[in-house]
Amino acid sequence: MAEDEEEGYRWESGYEKTWEAIQEDEAGLLDSSVADLVARAKRARLHRARPHVRLGIMRHLYLVLDASEAMFVQDLKPTRLICCLKILEGYVQEFFDQNPISQLGIIVTKNKRAEVVCELGGNPIKVIEHLRKLSSAPCVGEPSLMNALELAASSLRTMPSHASREVLVLMASLTTCDPGNINATIQSLCKEKIRCSVIGLAAELRITRHLAQETGGEYAVCLDDSHLRDLTMAHVQPPPAVAHMEAALIRIGFPSHNTSADSPGKLSYCMCHLNGPAPPEGPDRGGYLCPQCYSKHCELPVDCATCGLTLMSAPHLARSYHHLFPLEPFEEVERPPGGPPQHCAACRARIDTQKLISKCGKCSELYCVDCDLFIHETRHVEVAVTSRGSGYGGAARRGTLWVGV
Amino acid sequence: MLELKKGLDAKGHLVLEMPSGTGKTISLLSLIVSYMLERPLEITKLVYCSRTVPEIEKVLEELAKLNRFIEKQTGQKTKLVGLAVSSRKNLCIHPEVSQEREGKVVDSRCYGLTAGYVRARAARADTAAGDGDGADPVPTCQFFEQLEESGRDATLQAGIYSLDDLKHYGRERGWCPYFVARRAIQQANIIVYSYHYLLDPKIAEVVSKEIVQSSVVVFDEAHNIDNVCIDSMSVHINKRMLERCSNNISAMEKRIANLKETDAARLQDEYQRMVDGLRDAQMKRENNQLLANPVLPDQILQEAVPGNIRTAEHFLNFMKRLVEYLKMRLRVQHVVQESPAGFLKDIFNKICVDRKPLRFCAERLTSMIRTLELTDMADLSPLVLVSHFATLVSTYTKGFTIIVEPSDDKTPNVYNPILYFRCLDSSLAIKPVFERYQSVVITSGTLSPLDMYPKILDFHPVIITSFTMTLARPCILPMIVTKGNDQVTISSKFESREDPAVIRNYGNLLVDMVTAVPDGVVCFFTSYMYMESVVSSWYDQGIITQLQKHKLLFIETQDAAETSLALLNYIQACENGRGAVLLSVARGKVSEGVDFDHHLGRCVLMFGIPYMYTQSRILKARLEYLRDTFQIRENDFLTFDAVRHASQCVGRAMRGKTDYGIMVFADKRFQRSDKRTKLPLWIQEHLKDSMCNLSTEEAVQISKRWLRRMAQPFSRQDQLGISLLTLQQLQSEEMQNKMRERVTHRI
Repeated sequence: MAEDEEEGYRWESGYEKTWEAIQEDEAGLLDSSVADLVARAKRARLHRARPHVRLGIMRHLYLVLDASEAMFVQDLKPTRLICCLKILEGYVQEFFDQNPISQLGIIVTKNKRAEVVCELGGNPIKVIEHLRKLSSAPCVGEPSLMNALELAASSLRTMPSHASREVLVLMASLTTCDPGNINATIQSLCKEKIRCSVIGLAAELRITRHLAQETGGEYAVCLDDSHLRDLTMAHVQPPPAVAHMEAALIRIGFPSHNTSADSPGKLSYCMCHLNGPAPPEGPDRGGYLCPQCYSKHCELPVDCATCGLTLMSAPHLARSYHHLFPLEPFEEVERPPGGPPQHCAACRARIDTQKLISKCGKCSELYCVDCDLFIHETRHVEVAVTSRGSGYGGAARRGTLWVGV
Repeated sequence: MLELKKGLDAKGHLVLEMPSGTGKTISLLSLIVSYMLERPLEITKLVYCSRTVPEIEKVLEELAKLNRFIEKQTGQKTKLVGLAVSSRKNLCIHPEVSQEREGKVVDSRCYGLTAGYVRARAARADTAAGDGDGADPVPTCQFFEQLEESGRDATLQAGIYSLDDLKHYGRERGWCPYFVARRAIQQANIIVYSYHYLLDPKIAEVVSKEIVQSSVVVFDEAHNIDNVCIDSMSVHINKRMLERCSNNISAMEKRIANLKETDAARLQDEYQRMVDGLRDAQMKRENNQLLANPVLPDQILQEAVPGNIRTAEHFLNFMKRLVEYLKMRLRVQHVVQESPAGFLKDIFNKICVDRKPLRFCAERLTSMIRTLELTDMADLSPLVLVSHFATLVSTYTKGFTIIVEPSDDKTPNVYNPILYFRCLDSSLAIKPVFERYQSVVITSGTLSPLDMYPKILDFHPVIITSFTMTLARPCILPMIVTKGNDQVTISSKFESREDPAVIRNYGNLLVDMVTAVPDGVVCFFTSYMYMESVVSSWYDQGIITQLQKHKLLFIETQDAAETSLALLNYIQACENGRGAVLLSVARGKVSEGVDFDHHLGRCVLMFGIPYMYTQSRILKARLEYLRDTFQIRENDFLTFDAVRHASQCVGRAMRGKTDYGIMVFADKRFQRSDKRTKLPLWIQEHLKDSMCNLSTEEAVQISKRWLRRMAQPFSRQDQLGISLLTLQQLQSEEMQNKMRERVTHRI
């Protein structure tokens, strides 16, 4: 958790027996074993087997956030709610970063009701703004899983069939107060092919596990805040596409970027900040201009506010592309006994002192664990292979492109 | 399995404790069946006794699986015949009779349709109708008739038949499944039925007498076997029953008068039979064909029925006198307790009835019913009961007691005298079973302390073992909570149970657990009375409202229908995520027969130690008897019984390897080593010292963390090598050593 937040008092939490997880290594030292544990956990995430499946690149996702009384419990610091919102902020950013042609909305359930806080949309700023507002909202009563799901389904139902329909539920409460039979709702979700994943904050609740199982989603319960972050971030990756999804072409705009320095254009407000409070720096010359209607936007990716065209830059699309052809996971190799000192191919740090070393299967370069993670999670392109470029450059220069999804 | 094999080799009796859901049934079945296939001469039959109908069904499912597996492995059809036997109620396919709800009614209606003389009469009526006489045809059961016609010698094909299979089979052929099953007992290799068919002497005589000696008998879920034994030998008589007896007698008198006018020859016949005595039965016993019937000891069979009850009128007069005498005995204002010998003396003095005719009461009555062609058995049940009582009381002088109480335990102010004739010695009913069969296996999830059972059942097992679970994760979390958040000691002991502070702390414990635990929570109280008082004070203290915020609340009552409705709704509430709390009572229906697997029971709370009601005369008499005969101290037995029930209650939540559940023992007294060490080994193993003597808050913290850990994905991969073995692993050197170590360690 961020340090600037007011921490909960230590005595309000449970007895945390941190020493139980640690074991001494052969030399009686603790440091290495702790580092080892962390590194292994990270690698385990990467190595999750990914068979060659079709992925739903264009995603429509509703986040369902439980805002019941149980969100005020302080086992995640400072409270579950604030912890969740912090993590979700990061998630939303990452989500749009990795899935630039997707849409996301937020539903909050409390006091036996559910309401849409933020409609499905492609603008991360708006979503994050709504999330920030939620942190001051009161958490009361019980949640209603059924109402929330119905609400999400009613909106997702109208989405085109080439897009994946998803719901991600963050559930803190151990009870749900529903007006009818939730099993019927789950059945209808199955029929609509809406994939529901659930992250529990407290314990395994039968109905949520059932929901996830039936609709083909994932179910998980967090151990602590870092585990919660990991679990949430796992949903950034697009899920495998459902069988019925049809292939379609969608129009995407690649706006040209005018920097304030090189364009003598007029001062103007961008579309994103037109309705809200004016940005502190005032009107600007720079920004992204929609290739269709020439309205200005200050950030990408976004749906054009005027003509509705999906705007993004070529690297965004390239990043979506990596989901389809992921970088092969590196092999874990044993440190060779003796020999000359070896260095990581990326950061040039000495790696023969470390326990875990990764090796690229293609070019047999060696990497340290941190670089391994960086390459796979953020960069998606191997460092040593320098000549790999984006194949979209030419089309992007021309303005728009039809992209198959 | 190894232990079981040893026991079978030694042809002795076994006591095994295995936690539920660890494949107890299948390992028992597979070994015994293989043994049977391998050495068909040594073991010819397996009799598997379980407690309830669903349990019987489960056993058969496993058996069918096993059969398929064996067939697949050996590539040839096995010649095994396995079947379930149950009451007429569960097997009847007669369109009208099977609609009846109560077992007794079904029995008597079936009897009315299938008894020998009814059928004879029907045959007569048929011929009469054929002659054009116009007499009403006597109704009979067509399924039974068809079975009689075609299926007398027909045998079941090899295979496993569950209750439904039997019914299906019956419908297909138009045979009565109940009688098919009854007949097949002799032929079948594996028989699955309820305890009562073997333990209750009245039923055992009918059903189980033809089972050969070289059988293996398994009592599953046998933690209550001593009580079953005792109940099967005990009789309760109250005033209403005696009134109905008198009615029965007068009805029979009329009938006899009628019969005398029309058909005196039959009565004469019966008289002759009486003189001949029960020589037939004696012959059978000499051939060792009959399961020794404890109700009828040997010497009776050698005598003829005494003269004063041979004729029907005399017998009825005799019964009338007996019933009047019992009525007189019931007219008491204070508790009377006496031994059977004293009772007999008193009966001799008052109404001049001596011991011998009393003994023949039961036999004489059945014979008379047969002669009189009475069909409505349900109506006659009080009279039958009294006759059983008379026979028992005159046969046994040791191990029984007679208690007359002016009022019921539950309603101490209402005058409702009851005569209890209680068996005190649980070994009496089971003794013939132990003596007759080659090996008897007693097994359950909760049998600890194991050495108690051989003592109270009076037998010498060759092997007594308690197995623990090998688990890949700590899937049970037993905790002993001894104090509330305000450090008040919590206990249900008599002095402190009404203390509002204790009740409040129990309430807070429940509320805190309910907030932390998902889905179903089950609480057990020590008695209905205690539960009622606690719930009413919780209501005053506002605890109930707090509870209902998190989960719905259900309460077990003494009414069976109400309880099953509550259970149904409880399950529904757990299923759809609302969550529910069930308040119930140890020793109640819920604590015995209902499983709360997976989400239905994530947490079980045991409020207090479920001691028996120690003021009860019956219990006192039994304790005294146990002390005198078996040298078991009162306190030892009480603790044994209480802990056995407590572990039975908490064991409800744990029903398999993938299951997990919290078990909270909320009483300071569980902390003591005499209670703790009596818990089953598989619970003790997880009950670390750090889990004892907790306060409410600590318990909640621990369970929260534990629940999170348990919710992590748990795949087959994780179990492999620990609690699941592949064939290679099983054969590997390392594993073999480990197993050998475990076995030697245990011994």
